[in-house]
Amino acid sequence: MDAASPDQKFRLLGGRIPYVEGPLKVSGRAEYTDDIKRSGMLVGRLLRSPHAHARIRSVDVEAARRLPGVFAVLTGEKYPTQFGVLPITHDETAIAVDRVRYIGDIVAAVAARDELTAERALAAIRIEYEVLPEYNDPRMGVQKVEFPIHSRGLNGTNIQKEVVQHFGDVDAALGTASHFVRVRGRFSGVTHAFTEPLVTIAESTPDGRLTVWSATQVPHYLHRSLSEVLGLPMHRIRVIKPEVGGGFGGKSDPLPHEIACAALALETGRPVKMLFDREDVFLTNHGRHPTENDVRIATDAEGRILAYDIEALIDGGAWSSFGTVTTYYNGVLSMGPYRVPNFRYRGRRVYTNKPPSGAMRAHGGTNIRYSVETALDELSEQLNVDPFALRELNALPPNSTTINQFRITSTSFVKCLHAARQRSGWDAKHRKLPYGHGIGLGCSFYISGSNSPIHFTPKMPQCTVHLKVDMDGGIAVHCMQADIGQGSNTLMAAIVAEVLGVDLERMHVVRVDSDISPIDLGSYSSRVTFMMGNATRKAAESLRDQLVHAAALLTGYPPERLEVGHERISVRHRPDVGVSYLEALHKAMERSGALLATGSYTSPPMGGEFKGARAGTAPAYSFGAYVAEVIVDVETGEYRVPKVWAAFDCGRALNRLAVEGQIEGSIHMGLGQVMGESMNYRGSRLLNPSLLEYKIPMPQQMPEVECLLVGDPDPEGPFGAKEAGEGPLIAILPAVGNALYDAIGVRFTELPITPDRVVRGMEQRAAAGRTWKGA
Amino acid sequence: MHLDPFELHRPESVDETLELARRYAGSFDYLAGGTDLLPNYKMHLNLRPHLIALEDVGELRGHSLDRIGAMTRLADLERDPEFLRSYPAIAEAVREVATPLVRASGTLGGNLFLETRCFFFNQSYFWRQSLGFCMKADGDQCHVVPQKEKCYATFSGDLAPALMVLDAEAEIRGPGGARRVPIGELYDGAGDGIRRTRLAPGELLVAVHLPASARRRRSTYRKLRVRPSFDFPELGVAAAGRWEGDRLEELSLAAGGLETYPRRFDALTSPLLGAPLTDTKIEEVASKLRGLVRPVHNTFLAPDYRKKMAGVFTRRALAGIRPGATA
Repeated sequence: MDAASPDQKFRLLGGRIPYVEGPLKVSGRAEYTDDIKRSGMLVGRLLRSPHAHARIRSVDVEAARRLPGVFAVLTGEKYPTQFGVLPITHDETAIAVDRVRYIGDIVAAVAARDELTAERALAAIRIEYEVLPEYNDPRMGVQKVEFPIHSRGLNGTNIQKEVVQHFGDVDAALGTASHFVRVRGRFSGVTHAFTEPLVTIAESTPDGRLTVWSATQVPHYLHRSLSEVLGLPMHRIRVIKPEVGGGFGGKSDPLPHEIACAALALETGRPVKMLFDREDVFLTNHGRHPTENDVRIATDAEGRILAYDIEALIDGGAWSSFGTVTTYYNGVLSMGPYRVPNFRYRGRRVYTNKPPSGAMRAHGGTNIRYSVETALDELSEQLNVDPFALRELNALPPNSTTINQFRITSTSFVKCLHAARQRSGWDAKHRKLPYGHGIGLGCSFYISGSNSPIHFTPKMPQCTVHLKVDMDGGIAVHCMQADIGQGSNTLMAAIVAEVLGVDLERMHVVRVDSDISPIDLGSYSSRVTFMMGNATRKAAESLRDQLVHAAALLTGYPPERLEVGHERISVRHRPDVGVSYLEALHKAMERSGALLATGSYTSPPMGGEFKGARAGTAPAYSFGAYVAEVIVDVETGEYRVPKVWAAFDCGRALNRLAVEGQIEGSIHMGLGQVMGESMNYRGSRLLNPSLLEYKIPMPQQMPEVECLLVGDPDPEGPFGAKEAGEGPLIAILPAVGNALYDAIGVRFTELPITPDRVVRGMEQRAAAGRTWKGA
Repeated sequence: MHLDPFELHRPESVDETLELARRYAGSFDYLAGGTDLLPNYKMHLNLRPHLIALEDVGELRGHSLDRIGAMTRLADLERDPEFLRSYPAIAEAVREVATPLVRASGTLGGNLFLETRCFFFNQSYFWRQSLGFCMKADGDQCHVVPQKEKCYATFSGDLAPALMVLDAEAEIRGPGGARRVPIGELYDGAGDGIRRTRLAPGELLVAVHLPASARRRRSTYRKLRVRPSFDFPELGVAAAGRWEGDRLEELSLAAGGLETYPRRFDALTSPLLGAPLTDTKIEEVASKLRGLVRPVHNTFLAPDYRKKMAGVFTRRALAGIRPGATA
């Protein structure tokens, strides 16, 4: 039976598979980078800039170098090569060379025998700065500025990237529109706040090799950057990814401290560990961009979308990071799950003297989605059409192409709408609950793996998986895919076990190690299940074919009459005639010993021919429709979200336990951005670089979540699966915003929606003479 | 962030403690749980070379309905159902301090003498250095209200307002002997975020005493914070009262989390005695209290909102202690 058939039955997949590394993690025995001790290991520390924008006039490190116990003091000039996650925007250095660009920028690195000595060495470094004007608001940088933050800014401005796109004819469409809504959204920056702080160990050895252990989502990109900046060929560098305690995009860039730590190891010939505290993590940031957007949506009299006209002003912070992608995504990810016949977008990402923004879970698709879904809620009110009906009317059909030439294959968006509407009891609640109590809908659309590998030369698969099995029957699975807690190791093991019919406990997912793991590009853009899953499946099928061939020799039946059962290969419809898995394996090994198999995945060609056409193209897309219920204290503005119905289309959920975990975790993270998470600045200075003052929701704030996994299998996804790691975050934000509107009649277009803003909103509504639900 | 070395002393009696306090006058801190002090030390906030740990001092431990030793862990109070039933305001305040983990270490004395807090103070050395230090640590200026006279750091303990409305007293020992003062007099209303207590040099809080009258009062503590655990108060209002029939016999009201010290509002409450506590009177008191408090922008939520909420929380606290009230 075709694996994409919804009726396909599996032994493991589609069930609830506990994480293979779970027992190690819950018992504290899993090995994270900080757990690794190397003989003679030094402590690495960084000196950070106290200025938001300044020239470095002089650096005097002599006193620091002379301190007993100090092994190395490095400044920027030794490794000035610029790097960055995107090859087209290399603008970072491991250590600042002659300019500092934000409070926290790295100006020197020290390796010493212990923490205290390292801190003393930092204090002994003398730096003379010439302070420059600081640009802490993107609006300050859209015109020509006196001291551009980077020389690569557009025409002497601080604009890092400008995207202008126009498909169809927006002005003509606006001329014929009967309804029109405008939402101007404002979004604070938010950060990942992963549990495990950033940490790197580097060791250079006399054989001329450098080994780097790091808490990273992108071991391969780190590998490349280390090579580029340090001037060592890649084959002399070994990158190891131990267990990682969460990333959410915050570990998806090669980061300056990783390279600085490696540089200290080269300098000292000793192992060096650099462990960040929470303030360091906040200053490294690369979180979701502070954003202002301006969304205009026009419809016909029935509510059919005629046009989107969108602008976004994106605060990039000091570096480019993923910013070029961010700038595209804020436009191109705004359309699906709807059919938008005319689309115009202008997005600008501007450098500022603040900690760099980058990729964070549902990167580029979150802030713009909030404004779009808020606008649609407003339109449904104007049109007097139910919010569900409005969205269903505009849903993209399966196997269609968007105006900007995205290839949509599977979509179960309409099924999501139906499930969320029915399960939430929407029709009995919307606009019918008492004042202060509301219900709202938000929808989502996200890429299931970026079609464009970041490094597209040389042309190679996006993921390769190797399997090795010896006479003991245990199966070693090698791949550089980065499990950061999302369960990809478990999925990889389960796919192999499923295809071979063997027990999961035979799988040994080998720790990511560039010496032995074939390349996967990393955990970002929700690509791992789709790409690694397909590569793993191919590798497992190749191994299965070898075993079946051996079983054919043993049974005398041709391979096409054999089938794989539990730990056994037998004749189809004659289960008594067959051999055990081990018998088949040992027979297969007679020819050349341990079996090897490989599988890889390369996404098919897609996308248009225009500039930027690849941005946002993906082999599949996820869809979602969430309903949230809110209860507001109408005096204090405090509110809670007791219940969320999360209908999500991730194709076939291969591990329901992991998918539900991703949805629940996403809702928690998304609620944070709605309810209180905000990187607060005074000028260029981050005011709340701590988990006490950066307000991640507490467990008591977590709603009851009902996951409705209604997706049909995707034709190209592994066993029909699509992503479930990022898309599930998106819909909760507008669902809560729209539920607040239903509760108190106030449109919130600025996040986070803190209680003081709720009170102000109600006061302004009352002052305007508008009543709501009788209040 | 690392902890600089310090010398740790572990006295076993009050006398021994006072002797150490005399010997290291001006260069020590008491360690009474450490859940606030040690993070502050990691940020290099006003480090002292000596820490006098109080946990082995037997006279400071243990609690009953009448007396709470200064080193009583908040978790110990939380696990005593009779105590919690007897003093609803204390029960509510204790349960809302930080998190269970913090309450397992944190003590009554630690909460009463909690260091005042401010966005521009509770930051790492690097952070403060980059801004230019403030007068509360290493500097001479204020970044909240730009001037050099007065520190506006906020008193953020939850227990003080609750104890104040119950007329609790502090038992203090020092070089001059023992004395007892109302809890409110531990705090220097004429001081600021730096000069914040009225304890003389070398004095030590031994215990808090609760009068028998406290158990006859209906009481409550209402805390505003961004999240339902972990966070310090953006404001906290405590109220306690006693009725004869519907006639109010005793009433007290106190607030913390708004200014540099917690304070009682006897001038607002005493005119209400001898009559029923009507909605109108409650509204009047709430609105007056709101007019009296002066929060500044050094916590997460904006001061105008906290001021407004001081009124709402006062109204709710007073309504909540009326006979027959359910919440």
